[in-house]
Amino acid sequence: MDKISVIINGKKCLADKGEFLLDIAERNGIVIPHLCHHEALRGQAACRLCIAEVRENGRKRIVTSCIFPVMRDLEAETDTEEIREMRKTLLSLLSAEVPESQTIASLAEEYGKGDVSRFSKDFGNECILCGLCVEACSELGCNAIATVNRGITKKISTPYDEPSAACIGCGSCAYVCPTGCIRIDERNGIRTIWNKEFELIRCDRCGRYYITKEENEYLRQRNGGVQGELQCICKNCRQAETAKKIMETSLEF
Amino acid sequence: MKYPAERRFSLAVMQDIQRAFNYIPKEAMIEISEYLNIPFSQLYSMATFYKALSLEPKGKYIIKVCDGTACHIRSSMVILSELQKLLGIDAGEITRDGLFSVETVNCLGACALAPVMVINNEYHGKLTPQDLSEIIRGYRNASDESKDDLIISKEEGDGNV
Repeated sequence: MDKISVIINGKKCLADKGEFLLDIAERNGIVIPHLCHHEALRGQAACRLCIAEVRENGRKRIVTSCIFPVMRDLEAETDTEEIREMRKTLLSLLSAEVPESQTIASLAEEYGKGDVSRFSKDFGNECILCGLCVEACSELGCNAIATVNRGITKKISTPYDEPSAACIGCGSCAYVCPTGCIRIDERNGIRTIWNKEFELIRCDRCGRYYITKEENEYLRQRNGGVQGELQCICKNCRQAETAKKIMETSLEF
Repeated sequence: MKYPAERRFSLAVMQDIQRAFNYIPKEAMIEISEYLNIPFSQLYSMATFYKALSLEPKGKYIIKVCDGTACHIRSSMVILSELQKLLGIDAGEITRDGLFSVETVNCLGACALAPVMVINNEYHGKLTPQDLSEIIRGYRNASDESKDDLIISKEEGDGNV
């Protein structure tokens, strides 16, 4: 397949037709700040921090790079004066929205922000409502959480704020959350997330709690309903085991 | 079935239920989500997004007090607090007998009548706090009469059997 040539900040990058600008930049080691994008999920284009300037046919325009598919050769800039100013404004607004968030504070330090004293600050909340957690939950096939209400009362929650039957307690939402505002409590083999309590299962090897019963069952169903005893091995032990196998086989040669 | 089991009918189904019950009970939400095969969370998201849909029971008479600019200037908040005194409920609540619920809206488009409130599509304009008890009594009586009608028709029905 013919590759497209994209020049980002003067660096020539090759890309497939339809690839997103942010992905191309990341692959080529060009850093574009972003919050609501995860490589495994579709772009949300909610935080707008990944804005870039695209130049085509002598015209320039600002695009959100996480959802901008590159269809033909073009040039892009990610750090012009104009972009820097726009990012500052975005970070000012985000700082006012979630003044207690460390993530936003460090981004604001790196990229600068304007004077935010005129905005009323919203304390006790670190969610920027980007919707990445909802996307992750939906991609997993659980659909336990969604946006609730709208306008200033908008939030992410389960229906009626009650423990959701659909939730398997996998914690993917908390894992992808850019500001880390989704609470997971783990105590005495019980994980609490979204007001629901889950019993955790121990790893057969190291004995550490690592997965909820519900998630284990969900994975089993997804893998075609494996019958009988299933080994429960946590990520670390599985990694160590695989590494050991590779070592052994390579030593044989 | 009025609607095929497709997601795109979510809003239409919820509107129908809202019309029939004046709110959408939780049981209905679960039922819709199963019938249309839409995740419960997404349906709930929609239901909370639209102001025309309510998940809390609403009164038989829904009183919308306008608090748009024109009404606000003509002391719509005095009207609201008088209503609260009369009915014993705050905006967004429902009276214990299920007859009235009160809410504020941003503009009813009848600024010439300011301050204005609308009760089940009937407009009451140029209000003074003194008007309110009369208006409320009117609706209470209307409701009692309709209840009497019900009882009579039921008795007649029994007689025929």
